[in-house]
Amino acid sequence: MASWLNSKLAGGISVGRRALAVSTRGLIMGGVASLAALGFVAAIQWLNDLFWVSPRSRMMATDWPWLPLATIAVLVCGGLIVGLIARYLLPGGQAHGPPEVIETAQDGSNDVDLRTGAGSALSALTSLGAGASVGQYGPLVHLGATMGSLVGRIMPSGQGNAAGLIGIGCGVAAAIATAFSAPIAGVLFAHEVVLRQYSLRAFAPITVAATIGFVLASYVFEHEPLFRIPGAPRVEPAEYGAFILIGIGGAVVATGFMRAILAADELAERTPIPPVLRPATAGALLGILAIWIPDILGIGQQVLRFTIIPEAFGTIELAVLLVAKILATALCLGFGFVGGVFSPALLIGALFGALTGHAAVVLVPGAADSASVYAICGLAAVTSPVIGGPITTILIVFELTRNYVLTTAVMVSVVFANLVSYRIFGRSMFDEVLRRRGCDLSLGRDELMLSHRSIGPHISHEYVHVHPGETIAEARHRIAAADETEGHVIDAEGYYHGTVTLAGLTRAQDDTAAADDDVMSLARHADAILDSNANIWSALAEAEQGTARELPVLDEEGRMIGVIERQQLVGVYRRALFGIRREEHAAP
Amino acid sequence: MRLIVMLMLACALGQTVGAEPAHGPLVVATWGGVYERSQRAAYFDPYTEATGTPIQTASYSGGLGTLRKRVQGPGDWDVIDMTMADHRRACAEGLLQSYSGEGLMPAPDGTPAERDFIRSAITPCGVAHNLFSTVVAFDEDFFRYTAQPHRIEHLFDTERFPGKRALHKRPDALLEWALLSYGVPVGDLYDLLSTERGLNLAFKRLDEIREHIVWWESPEEAVELLRREDVTFAMGYNGRFFDAAVVQNEPVRIIWDAQVYEFETWGIPRNAAHPERARQFIGYATRTQSLARQTRYIAYGPTRASAIRRVGKHASTGVDMRAHMPSHPLHMERAIRKDVDWYAHTRQHLNERFQVWLAAGDAQ
Repeated sequence: MASWLNSKLAGGISVGRRALAVSTRGLIMGGVASLAALGFVAAIQWLNDLFWVSPRSRMMATDWPWLPLATIAVLVCGGLIVGLIARYLLPGGQAHGPPEVIETAQDGSNDVDLRTGAGSALSALTSLGAGASVGQYGPLVHLGATMGSLVGRIMPSGQGNAAGLIGIGCGVAAAIATAFSAPIAGVLFAHEVVLRQYSLRAFAPITVAATIGFVLASYVFEHEPLFRIPGAPRVEPAEYGAFILIGIGGAVVATGFMRAILAADELAERTPIPPVLRPATAGALLGILAIWIPDILGIGQQVLRFTIIPEAFGTIELAVLLVAKILATALCLGFGFVGGVFSPALLIGALFGALTGHAAVVLVPGAADSASVYAICGLAAVTSPVIGGPITTILIVFELTRNYVLTTAVMVSVVFANLVSYRIFGRSMFDEVLRRRGCDLSLGRDELMLSHRSIGPHISHEYVHVHPGETIAEARHRIAAADETEGHVIDAEGYYHGTVTLAGLTRAQDDTAAADDDVMSLARHADAILDSNANIWSALAEAEQGTARELPVLDEEGRMIGVIERQQLVGVYRRALFGIRREEHAAP
Repeated sequence: MRLIVMLMLACALGQTVGAEPAHGPLVVATWGGVYERSQRAAYFDPYTEATGTPIQTASYSGGLGTLRKRVQGPGDWDVIDMTMADHRRACAEGLLQSYSGEGLMPAPDGTPAERDFIRSAITPCGVAHNLFSTVVAFDEDFFRYTAQPHRIEHLFDTERFPGKRALHKRPDALLEWALLSYGVPVGDLYDLLSTERGLNLAFKRLDEIREHIVWWESPEEAVELLRREDVTFAMGYNGRFFDAAVVQNEPVRIIWDAQVYEFETWGIPRNAAHPERARQFIGYATRTQSLARQTRYIAYGPTRASAIRRVGKHASTGVDMRAHMPSHPLHMERAIRKDVDWYAHTRQHLNERFQVWLAAGDAQ
C-alpha cells in the first residue's frame, strides 16, 4: 500500500515539476520577448513624435515652414544610418526578419544569432522611427524570436535542440500577442506561420508565453489595441457574396503588393546606387511624395483607424492612397529600409476594403450599414496571403474586434483570398523570399532539413583502394578478399580515376583471359559521384542514378575522400523523417 | 496642528512681503458667477482676513487676447486664473512671470507641496489648483417622457433628441466630441484630430447640427439658456451645472460621457503691480485647507492629494460632493483629458479653421 502510494506520489511530483518547468520557461521567454516588443513599440512612438512623423507632432509644427524639408532630411538621415548598419554591423550585410525566423525553425538549426537580431532590430527601429513606409510586426517577430532563442540557450532544459525551437515559438507568440493584444492569434501565428506543426510539447509553453505577453500589454502597460469596432455592424445575407469577391480581389491586391516589393528589390540591384546609399535615396523620394500625401509616412495607424469610418475618404482619394501606399512600401523595402510587410498589408487591405465598401453601397442591398465590415474584410483578405496565416488573421480580427458577425464575414474573405493567392503567387511573402534564395517550403520541411545536413559524418573510408597499373587479376583478388563488390581506382596523388566492379573484373578475366591487363582499362566513372560539400538531400537525388552499392565522395579537385553506401543514405533519410515526425508529435 | 499651520502661514506671509507697497487691493482676474463665489468663500475672504489685503476681482473669460493687451499697459492684474491650455501658451509667449513653486505650502501632515500636488500641476509659470470639466447638460424636463440622452453622440442626433444646442463659440471640446461621435477611441482622439481628415470629419459632424446651435460667450450664459428653456442641450462647466441642479434645484442633468477635463491654473501676468503679494496669494489659495474648502461650494476637484481626501459635503445642501466630482470613477469611463500641449501649439491653426467653418455657415 505504502509503496503504491509512494509511486503515485512520485509520479504526481514528477508531473508537477514538468508542468512547472514548462510554464516557467514559457513565462520567462514570453515575458522577455513581450517586454522587448513593448520597448520597441514605445521607442518607435517616441522617435515619431520627436521627428515629425506622427500626425500629432506634425500638426503641432504646423506653423513651421520647414516641415516638409525636415521630413525629407529625417528620412535621408535615417536611410543613411540604416545603410551604414547594414554595411558595418550586420553579418552578411542583410537585416533579418520573419523569413529567416521561419528558415531557422524549419531547417532544424533552431538558433537565432544575437548579433544579427540586435542589428536587425536597430535598423528596423531607425527605419520606423524616421517614418519609412514599412511595418513594425516583422521586426517584432524577429526580435521576439531572438529573445526567445537567447533565453532558450541560457536556461537549462534537457531537451537539446528542441529548446531553441520552443524558444523561437514562445518569443514570436509573445511578440504578436503583445502587439495586437491578441493571445490566441499569437499562439496560432507561432504554429501556423513559423513552426508549421502543432506538437503538444511546443503548444504548452507557447500558450503561456502568449498569455503573459497579452497580460503585460493590456493590464500592466495598458497598451491600446490597434483598432476596435464600436457597436455591432449588421450584415445582410446577400453581403456574404460580396465578402467572397473581396477575398478574391484582396488576393489580387496582395499579389500586386508582393510583386511590387520583389520588383523594387530587383530594380535596386540594377541601379548604380551603392547599397549603403539606397535607403537614403528611397527616403528622399518618400519625403518628397509625403509633401502631397503625408498619409504614406510611417506605419499609418491613424489612416487605418479612418478606414473604418465610412465618411472619412472619397472614392478617388482611397484609390490614390491605395496605390501610393503600395508604391511607397515597395520603394522603402526594395531599397533597403528595414521593416515588415505586415502593417503595410493591413493598411493597404483596409484601404482596398473601404474602396469596395464604396462600390458595395451602390451594388449590394444593406451595405451602407456595414461599411466598416468591408474595410476589415479587405484588411484580412490582403494580409492573410501576405503573411501566409489565414487562421492567424481570422483570430487577430476576432480578438481585436470581439465581434462574431464580423469574424464570420472575415473568415469568408480570408479563405478565398488564400485560395486564389496560393495559385497565382505562392503561400506567402516570406516563403517566396526563401524560395528565391533556394529554400522551398512548399512541400514541407523535409527537403530543407536534409539539405542543411552535410554528408560529412556519413562518409566511410573503408573501401577497396585499387592502384592504376594493378592487373585485373590482382584487383579481383583483393576485392573478393575484402568481401566487397567494388573497388575504386586512385592514383598516387589521391585522384579518383574510376570504379571497377567485381562482376566486371570477373567477366573480363573469363572472356579474354587477360588477367594481366591493366585494371585501368575497365575503370569507369561511377554513375553517381558526390561532392564532399554535398548535403543529404542532394546526395539522395544523386543516388537515384545507377546501381552501385557505394557512392564515391570526391573533393573539389577530384581527389577521393571516401564512400557513402546507398543503403546508409536511406537510413539517414528515414531517421530524419522520423525525427521530424517525432518533433511534430512530441508530448510535453 | 492648527496652530502650527497658522504659524507657518504667518512666517510665509511675513517673509515674502516687503519690497512692494502694501496698500491697495490685490487684483485677481477670474471667471465670475458661481465659480467666483466659491473662490471668495474658500480663500478670497479668508486671505483678506489673514493679511488685511482686500481682493478685487476682474472679469476674465478665457483666451489670450485680453491678456496680450493687458500686459502692454499698466499692471492692473496681479493674478490670473486660466485654463491649463491657455496658461501654457501664455507662459510660452512670455505673458506670465516665471514661477517655481515658491510659497506653496506643505500638506497639513507635512508632505512637501511638490509631492502633494498631482503630477505636472506645477508649471514653469504657475500651479494648477483645480480640475474642472467641460460637459454637456440637458433639460431634464424636456426629455422627461422620452429616452434621456446619455452619450455624447446624442448631442449630434437632432432627430431623436430635438431642440437647440447652446455651445461655446470656440473649437475646444466641440472637435473632440464631434470626432468621438464616429466611434473613435478616446486614446486616439488627438492623433486623429491632428490630420486634415480628422478635422474635416469633425467639422462635417458639426455641420449637421449647425442650424440648431446657439452660441454663448461667457459660461454663465450656458446655464441661463438652459434655465430659460431656450435650448435643450448646453455645453458648459460641470461646476456651474452642478450649482444649477443641486443648489438651485433646476431640472438640469449632466451627461458625463466624454467629459473633457482640464486644470485651472494660477499665473502672474508679466506686468503685475504686486508680484510678491501675488505669489503669497497663490501659496495661500492652494493650501490644502483652501482647496478642500472650495469643494464645499463647487464641484471642481482639487489638485492635491491631501485636499482630495478632504472632499466632503456641500456647504448649503449637504450633498456628498464626491459623487459630483469630474474625477469620480463612474464619470471617467470615456473621459477625455484635454491635450493642453496640443492646444498650446495648434491654437492659431484651430481658430483659423473654426473661423472658416463659421463663415461657411454665415454664407449659406
